[in-house]
Amino acid sequence: MLRMLAPLVALMVIGALVLATDRPRPRADFTFANHGEVNTLDPQKMSWMYDLRMGRMLYEGLVRQDFLGAEPGIRPGVAERWTISDDGRTYTFYFRADAKWSDGEPVRASDFVFSWRRAMLPDTACDYTAMFQLIEGGKEFFEWRTAALEAFKLGDDAEALWARTRAKFDEIVRLKAIDDRTLSFTLRRPVPYFLDMCGFPVFFPVCPDLLARYEAPESATGRITPRSGWTKPGVLVGNGPFVLTAWRFKRDMDFARSPTYWDRARLNFDTVRCVCIEDVSAQVLAARSGTIDWLSDAAASFRSDMLADRRAYEREHQPEIDAMRAEGLDQTTIERRLPDDPRNRIHAFPSFGTYFYSFNCKPTLMDGRNNPFADKRVRRAFALAMDKERIAVQVRRVGEPAAATLVPRGSIPGYASPRGLGRDAAEAKRLLAEAGYAGGKGLPTIQILFTRDAGHEFIAQSAKKDWEEILGASVELSQREVKSFKNDLRKGNFMVARSSWFGDYLDPSTFLDINRTGDGNNDRKYSSPEYDGLLARAEETTDRATRMDLLAAAERLLVEEDLPILPIFQYVDVSMYDPRRLTGLTSHPRQDQVIDMMDILGDGKGAETPRERPAAAAKNTVGATP
Amino acid sequence: MIGLIARRLLQLPLILLVIYTLTIVLAWAIPGSPLDKPEGRQPPEEVREAMKRQYNLDSLPRFYGSYLASATGVRWAGDELSGRASRERDVARAAGRAAPTRHIFDLGPSLQYEDWRVNEIVAANLPVSITLGLGAVALATILGVGAGVIGAARPGSIADHATLALALIGISVPSFVVGSVLVLTFAVWLEWFPLGGWGSARQMVLPMVTLALPFAAYIARLTRMGMVEHLQADFIRTARAKGASKASVLLKHALKNAFLPVLSFLGPASAAAMTGSFVIERVFFVPGIGQHFVNAVLNKDLFLIMGVVLIYATMLVLLNLAVDVLYRWVDPRIEA
Repeated sequence: MLRMLAPLVALMVIGALVLATDRPRPRADFTFANHGEVNTLDPQKMSWMYDLRMGRMLYEGLVRQDFLGAEPGIRPGVAERWTISDDGRTYTFYFRADAKWSDGEPVRASDFVFSWRRAMLPDTACDYTAMFQLIEGGKEFFEWRTAALEAFKLGDDAEALWARTRAKFDEIVRLKAIDDRTLSFTLRRPVPYFLDMCGFPVFFPVCPDLLARYEAPESATGRITPRSGWTKPGVLVGNGPFVLTAWRFKRDMDFARSPTYWDRARLNFDTVRCVCIEDVSAQVLAARSGTIDWLSDAAASFRSDMLADRRAYEREHQPEIDAMRAEGLDQTTIERRLPDDPRNRIHAFPSFGTYFYSFNCKPTLMDGRNNPFADKRVRRAFALAMDKERIAVQVRRVGEPAAATLVPRGSIPGYASPRGLGRDAAEAKRLLAEAGYAGGKGLPTIQILFTRDAGHEFIAQSAKKDWEEILGASVELSQREVKSFKNDLRKGNFMVARSSWFGDYLDPSTFLDINRTGDGNNDRKYSSPEYDGLLARAEETTDRATRMDLLAAAERLLVEEDLPILPIFQYVDVSMYDPRRLTGLTSHPRQDQVIDMMDILGDGKGAETPRERPAAAAKNTVGATP
Repeated sequence: MIGLIARRLLQLPLILLVIYTLTIVLAWAIPGSPLDKPEGRQPPEEVREAMKRQYNLDSLPRFYGSYLASATGVRWAGDELSGRASRERDVARAAGRAAPTRHIFDLGPSLQYEDWRVNEIVAANLPVSITLGLGAVALATILGVGAGVIGAARPGSIADHATLALALIGISVPSFVVGSVLVLTFAVWLEWFPLGGWGSARQMVLPMVTLALPFAAYIARLTRMGMVEHLQADFIRTARAKGASKASVLLKHALKNAFLPVLSFLGPASAAAMTGSFVIERVFFVPGIGQHFVNAVLNKDLFLIMGVVLIYATMLVLLNLAVDVLYRWVDPRIEA
């Protein structure tokens, strides 16, 4: 009998041992959930929104983007002041004396040169490398290095090539550290949004002393091969508001107020924890139960019901809300004064992203058949036939506005969006007949390609209904796994495909560039000399108003004439937090919530003052949607 | 016994090689490129090509060979013996760089989680899965054997039917349903246990119970079947005739024999519990290794796929071996 129990006892002993070594940690001042594990903490390699959020915690750029005020603004970061030359091309940044790395060393101008050079190297595989090529010589440097690496043969001296590369960089790229505290660079053309980009995490610096220990030219290929390991707690050196104190893979990340950050007195948290919850329903439960203080966007399938609950709550308190609005109170104050209710913790924020369909614009399809969508009349007909309102109101049900434009309407100050196309069944039929497909005759079976997700499927079904009933087309839904979907998109093996785009900086070009001829993100292979010409002219224009007009003209071409894309709706994020406890979130459409601006009220730490959300932006919250 | 262990250990590399080859061919056939990101900006084409070459993603035979060499320790041994490793260490030290970490069995970088090596991922997630899996199996054994004995003591009684019915439910209801019901009841409604996560004993209860239920049900049926069969055997009648107490007959004589099939089930059950908990890991956000079997394939993260498959295969073979050894130890009548 004893022998039989032995395995059981052994199991228990092992279990007890693991338990004893794995202790829970005390709760942090602020806990939030990201969507699963981050991909990387290397700022130059980031491109996922949730990685970028971590980037803002651990590093700081030359400037900081500020979206908390009524108008978005740029605030000093590592640089306390800066000058921009009259031709808009040369920028000079003057560093504050107390900008420090978390190891206590000062942040030097040369650190930015190192980091930006890193982003310009083909070796780094930076998704945003094209942005850095706006600096004069950047493109030539990238091409020179690519060619040099191609020509590298086994047995060549990798260190020598690296030395030549650095010399080449200094020679042709106009990015210089004038002294320890002055950085200067010259752009190939005036880029009005470049200052904004300097506040974007991909432009944040990495610590050269640290990186030098992890990156070296590989003798066999000559490439700088990045080695992982430097982004781990205890190793990572950053210059941001927080330092990484623990990172347990797929469990949680712990942060602490950086003892060397220049503006550390402003921070409202001593410790922050980010827990990794991948399941979308579990995320909502965690926010509801108070396990986390903030969920940035609830993706659960029942989020539309959550918002319906929220609206019901507002209806119950409509008289109070109206009275407070009449008093001129802002959204935050109103929410804080309403009686506590779980439904008051559900918030909808407009997002800087658009959901759209891409039409394949190539003359022939992958299998050699003629592509009806090569004709812009067909694309327009399909756009005019689609009922976007139904998709927004009946399918999505989260108060997302139906979209007629690619750039989210009202998100960029000074930019007047074109009207876009409405819905016109008769005109759609006429255009299709004009293109030679009267009543859908002669059209091949139209395939809508999308990734495996119920949301995309319902949207596609709605489109199918319209296109079949109005245009007489026969439409087939085609679902793919993400990788396979991307593959088809890249190869142009599709007719209509679901797409989305989120902007990176506060300028229409962050959306419009993806439809340029030859752009790496132009999956549609749309090519219009007129469109490219308008964008090129906008690039050469320094006058802001003229520039915005040119960009609006380009977008008008896109969404009213040529329709390589069919905008469907603008995204809304459903955020969960208690407005009586958490403050410091922005509802600006260029939404980028910054952890170090948030504050838990009533914990005795930080400023403890609720931040107002401007009334103009409050229009976009659920409160105002009918 | 030694012969058995030696024989099985010699078979291990062969089994692993077959699994490795099959997996790599299948994983390679997944459409799309591992370097594609699901959303957002893509790096320039030159960069993608260079990355492909760097990771040997441009040729299956090359990837097959190079991954095999580093995963099996051949590359490590080669580098150490040829002095390449120490040369690299010297170069790094001279240049003031951190010496490259060398794993004997290097499972490569993760393409999805760029800051982690597959070795680190396995090291972080495998202990969680082992704790969860072994805890669940231990719980399942206690529950299952207990229920089986109760049922077999009085076949046909209400207690017997009740345990059989519970076992049926345990086997047939999928764990995402059981898990969600437990979360809603005990975490959301009663608030006895936290929603999920991993670290404290309280966080482990719900996932362990969820994972244990189907195994417990199966063990209950195995135990009951074996007990009922043995209780009719001649040696039980002899024991009863000698005046042994009812408890002693049940536990000492019948259970001892009825436990053997349970023991042989524990091997594969442990392996399945340790790695097959994908659903439970999601529902309770437990950072285990089961998720990688699904996510790594969806992401076409080749290194991670190969890494977890190799680890799982090794564990499966070793656990089966352990069970065979235990079996012989418990019941010395069994011959090799």
